Amino acid sequence: MNALRVLIVDDSSVMRKIVDRSLRQAGLAIKEVFEASNGVEALARMQQTRVDLILSDINMPAMDGLELVRQLQAVENAQGVPIVMITTEAGETHVVQALSNGARGYIRKPFSPDQIKERIIPLLEEQP
Amino acid sequence: MNGERGSESSGRVQLIISAKSSGPGGFTSKLAGLPREEMHQRFTAALEAAAVEVFQMMVGTSLEPADQSALARVADYTAMIGLAGDLCGVLSFRCSSGAAERIAAQMMGTDENISAECIRDALGEICNMVAGSFKAQVSDLAGQCMLSVPTVVSGKDYQMYSLVDGLRIQVFKTFEGALVRMTLDLHNN
Repeated sequence: MNALRVLIVDDSSVMRKIVDRSLRQAGLAIKEVFEASNGVEALARMQQTRVDLILSDINMPAMDGLELVRQLQAVENAQGVPIVMITTEAGETHVVQALSNGARGYIRKPFSPDQIKERIIPLLEEQP
Repeated sequence: MNGERGSESSGRVQLIISAKSSGPGGFTSKLAGLPREEMHQRFTAALEAAAVEVFQMMVGTSLEPADQSALARVADYTAMIGLAGDLCGVLSFRCSSGAAERIAAQMMGTDENISAECIRDALGEICNMVAGSFKAQVSDLAGQCMLSVPTVVSGKDYQMYSLVDGLRIQVFKTFEGALVRMTLDLHNN
């Protein structure tokens, strides 16, 4: 697997740092990490940049993660990029909505590096 | 969390927290049928398990049992998050400034000085994750429950008052020798 370019979307800078560290602790090779604090910033980033993986919170100001996933379906750079939600909102309603909007996976906070590995590596291995 | 207001009396800021549902709110039929003592035990166990899980996974430290009589009455930091839906109320997490700095530093994975903004961010996330984990553990009783954006209060001279009129669940723990307290105040409907 090639070193990854990852976009981490979360309104908490502490949480973005934890997600970044957990990816590395999970053994994933990281080439570059981009950060966004809400869906609007993430969309703007994706207009300019191609990444291999997007990890997004749901509850965020300006634009939440569910709307971000929906709008990314129309962004050329996001086509085929796995999107995984990382959030405390792990109720059935949110999971169903995220997956139907285009997310490929779901990780509930709090999480361990092992859980990151279990959920993300299979998605990356499916990539052409 | 519908209402939150602060007033100043005799130099001490008083924070009055009110949680009122804009929808049906209150306890669901499953909860309403549960004896109060059983509900208290179930929620206490779930809140304790949630806190332990969050600290183990995100802070990298085990919470230890605490003697609640030793807990200082005034906390330097209070993080709060509102619940609405099947459960309506407020969850708060309180600790000293020393504990708050260490929690934030461990979450950030650094020994360097942590900014006040990062401390507030870290405590808000702790409160958010404890609430989310608690919610998941009682999902058979309260499946539909939304969380508000967390709020963090810091300072040396304030008192908290809750206007929530139902069940109160309190969990006392120590984090690296410092006392931390989680309180869940639930509205009766």
